[in-house]
Amino acid sequence: MLCIQQFDLSYPGYPPLATIDWSIEAGTQVALLGRSGVGKSTLLKAVIHGHASIQCEATHIAYVSQQPMLLPWRSVIDNVMLGEILRTSTISPAVRAQARTVLESVALGDLATRAARGLSGGERARVALARALFEEADLVLLDEPFAALDRSTRMAMADLAKTILKGRTVVLVTHDPRDAQDWLDEAWVLSERALHGPFDLHQFSDDRALIHALEGAL
Amino acid sequence: MQRLAFALAYLFGFGLIWKAITWVFALPHFILPPPERVIITLVTRAEQIAGHALTTATEIIAGLLLGGVLGIVSACLMAHSKTLHRLTMPILVVSQALPVFAIAPLLMLWLGYGFASKLAMTTLIVFFPVTAATLAGFRALPDGWQDTLTTFHATPIRTFWVIRVPLAVPHALSGLKIAASVAPIGAVVGEWVGSSSGLGYLMLHANGRGQTDLMFAALLVLCIEAVLVWAVVNRIATRFDHYRP
Repeated sequence: MLCIQQFDLSYPGYPPLATIDWSIEAGTQVALLGRSGVGKSTLLKAVIHGHASIQCEATHIAYVSQQPMLLPWRSVIDNVMLGEILRTSTISPAVRAQARTVLESVALGDLATRAARGLSGGERARVALARALFEEADLVLLDEPFAALDRSTRMAMADLAKTILKGRTVVLVTHDPRDAQDWLDEAWVLSERALHGPFDLHQFSDDRALIHALEGAL
Repeated sequence: MQRLAFALAYLFGFGLIWKAITWVFALPHFILPPPERVIITLVTRAEQIAGHALTTATEIIAGLLLGGVLGIVSACLMAHSKTLHRLTMPILVVSQALPVFAIAPLLMLWLGYGFASKLAMTTLIVFFPVTAATLAGFRALPDGWQDTLTTFHATPIRTFWVIRVPLAVPHALSGLKIAASVAPIGAVVGEWVGSSSGLGYLMLHANGRGQTDLMFAALLVLCIEAVLVWAVVNRIATRFDHYRP
């Protein structure tokens, strides 16, 4: 599904970070762990914008960022089908029905016509997930989508994501492996020097093992 | 109702202080006429003042509309094309750095002493704040949207209408609010430089004849016009507040 060869993670003006070789099979769901600033988001963005050293079989990518990227003046359902609204000027009833079904699957069916402005943080995150689902993408990239939420909401969101994203290829960027446990197949750890993996997520239930891994000692 | 009572009380207080000043300093009425004299003039010469007021109001509103439309359209075009942006920006900045007062005689020369030159003045003074504010609105695509838009395969034209325009609307309106407060300057300066009608003309005319009470009456009407125009624009602007990100 995704094949990255000799991709140099670097920011202009900073010393270069790790060089990445990574491939992900279709249908696998992986976590990408790493400390802030090692280039996790940069890697996702390179995939989105189609960097030359990245081969991506996905015809359609869905991306959920840390901020849910909603248009606050639009209704919840419009935000779910925003991709379609930004592609064509006419929305067919079938598409609208599809968006409603997706909203119901994240338990927000009641809020479909409400303006997105009034939503709580948890509801926003669920709308963002619903949108990723609506896009029917073959590759779903999640960049710390639950980072701004409290612990219990995060757990509920992880459970929800597990259910609705079943069968899709998923990359979840996170710095908290607890978001990914009982859900994702494997974990990869990005450090300043290299990408390591795959690991079993349960290896990181102990904080010390996680710190060890994040420092690139594995 | 409460706000109206407050406004009336405010005006009454202002009038009292005014009256007190003329009384305490025993000012002759051609230096500072007492408020009741101004009001009497306002009533007795209502017809004459109304005619001039209409001229000025037309200039302000037409200039605000024309300058507003031109400003918003050029901001849209500049947001679309970097080349156009680079070509237009210097002209914009120079046109703003140059005081309208300095161009006024030229505009009279080219457009005559009638409505056209006043409209040009007002449009000119309105154009810059609207363009600058709207342009700032178009730049305000929040961080991170670009990645999301790429995954959507969003078309530029749909992105423009669905995201960029709504985000620019509150900015354009705050530009219009600023423009509404300076539009009367354009109209009045235009009338000063050369005209035969309008509140600016009336003030100049009255000043030349020592009719300070008429001057004050005209000033009062101009004040009301300016505040009304600003209030209307402000009212419209708050209706679009929900487009704020």
